[in-house]
Amino acid sequence: MTTDNVLIKVDNLCKSFDNVDVLKGINAEIHKGDVMVVIGASGSGKSTFLRCLNRLEEPTGGKIYFEGTDITDPSVNINIHRQKMGMVFQQFNLFPHMTVMKNLTLGPIKLLKKSKADAEKRAMELLERVGLADRATAYPSQLSGGQKQRIAIVRALCMDPDVMLFDEPTSALDPEMVGEVLEVMKQLAKEGMTMVVVTHEMGFAREVGTNVVFVDDGVIVEQGEPKEFFENPRNQRLKDFLSKVL
Amino acid sequence: MQDFFNGLYQSFVKTFITDDRWLQLLNGLLVTVEITLFAAVIGVVIGFLIAIVRSTYDMNLSGRKCRSFGDYILKVVNFICNIYITVIRGTPVVIQLMIMYFIVFASSRDGIIAAIISFGINSGAYVAEIVRSGIMSIDKGQFEASRSLGFDYKSTMVHVIIPQAFKNILPALGNEFIVLVKETSVAGYVAIQDLTYVGNLIRSRTYEAFFPLIAVALIYLVIVLILTFLLKKLERRLRSSDH
Repeated sequence: MTTDNVLIKVDNLCKSFDNVDVLKGINAEIHKGDVMVVIGASGSGKSTFLRCLNRLEEPTGGKIYFEGTDITDPSVNINIHRQKMGMVFQQFNLFPHMTVMKNLTLGPIKLLKKSKADAEKRAMELLERVGLADRATAYPSQLSGGQKQRIAIVRALCMDPDVMLFDEPTSALDPEMVGEVLEVMKQLAKEGMTMVVVTHEMGFAREVGTNVVFVDDGVIVEQGEPKEFFENPRNQRLKDFLSKVL
Repeated sequence: MQDFFNGLYQSFVKTFITDDRWLQLLNGLLVTVEITLFAAVIGVVIGFLIAIVRSTYDMNLSGRKCRSFGDYILKVVNFICNIYITVIRGTPVVIQLMIMYFIVFASSRDGIIAAIISFGINSGAYVAEIVRSGIMSIDKGQFEASRSLGFDYKSTMVHVIIPQAFKNILPALGNEFIVLVKETSVAGYVAIQDLTYVGNLIRSRTYEAFFPLIAVALIYLVIVLILTFLLKKLERRLRSSDH
């Protein structure tokens, strides 16, 4: 891959909370169309890494370049860049006081300055693609977990992002609902969306990932294409981890 | 028996009819409502502003060092807000009212304006803490979801946090308004002819205690009942998103 289609470049990213070093120098490159799957034990720093990418956590060291701009620079208006980085959370975080349609159109109307009609039209198209067009007028409390997460994905997509960040999107779901969310993510990957996915779903990593990254103790200790990564792990910690989760 | 009812009738007439005393009570009621309404508006405005300052400080600056000029401003403003809440909650409202009337408004002696401002400032301190508790009760994920879409801090507050917080604090806010209505009954200390003052005046003029005081009590009760009814209605409307 050439360097000119690098979407996100992470350079020696460090993050510490009250003198506890969580990230100890992460280097990574995410190219357009990549599906980078980040795995690791809990507490390894994988979620913190993801949350640093759109500065929901402020990095304490290193640089992150997004579309060529160093977004760790304090003079950068991070809000502009966040519009291009969709994020999906473990706990869905839909806005409970708004209908599904309002959830989906709030950003496009207020931030992208779309007309209400345009925003609703786009939201409806995306809702149809995830099979939830009939839930547009519902409130989040009337939806199942799987439906909430699909709506949350659509909410991020309505902003027309260049990359989607997924923070353990299926970890809070009942087992029978995991499939429907993974299906939407697979579809998204197939359409060429650039994705960074923190997950425990090894099947997804193997099937959809273009690049799998193992984070341990705040650093990336191994990465590679899924086939090689899962079949011939070299690092001992990764071997231990895979033997526990596979 | 006849005498008893006759006496009761005489007292009633003396309390309400003679010298158009019902009109005095009505005027007193209007003064009470006027003070309460304007004080409530002032209280809510002050309360929300202070709550936003305090919760912004709690969420962003508490326990860490100031990094920018804005951080220092926030720290100073937060400190001033804390002093305000401490002083207002730590002193009786009657004293605050008298300070406002006899010291601040010493030259004009406009009682009603002084009362509106003092009750407003007083209520603001309580509303501030109610609103702050509401803001802090909203899950952090709501904040992050809004920021991840690209909303700045202010828009996140306006579109996502405050509407949810408002719904949660409505019962406590209603309680504060009810307290405020009744608290204005001390306005007579600075010669304002509010409902309580008029009732007491009629009592002293007529030497009849029963009717004036019970009537005043009933009027307060009715105001509070109306307020409670309106708040319940609003609560039901805002609850449409819970199922």
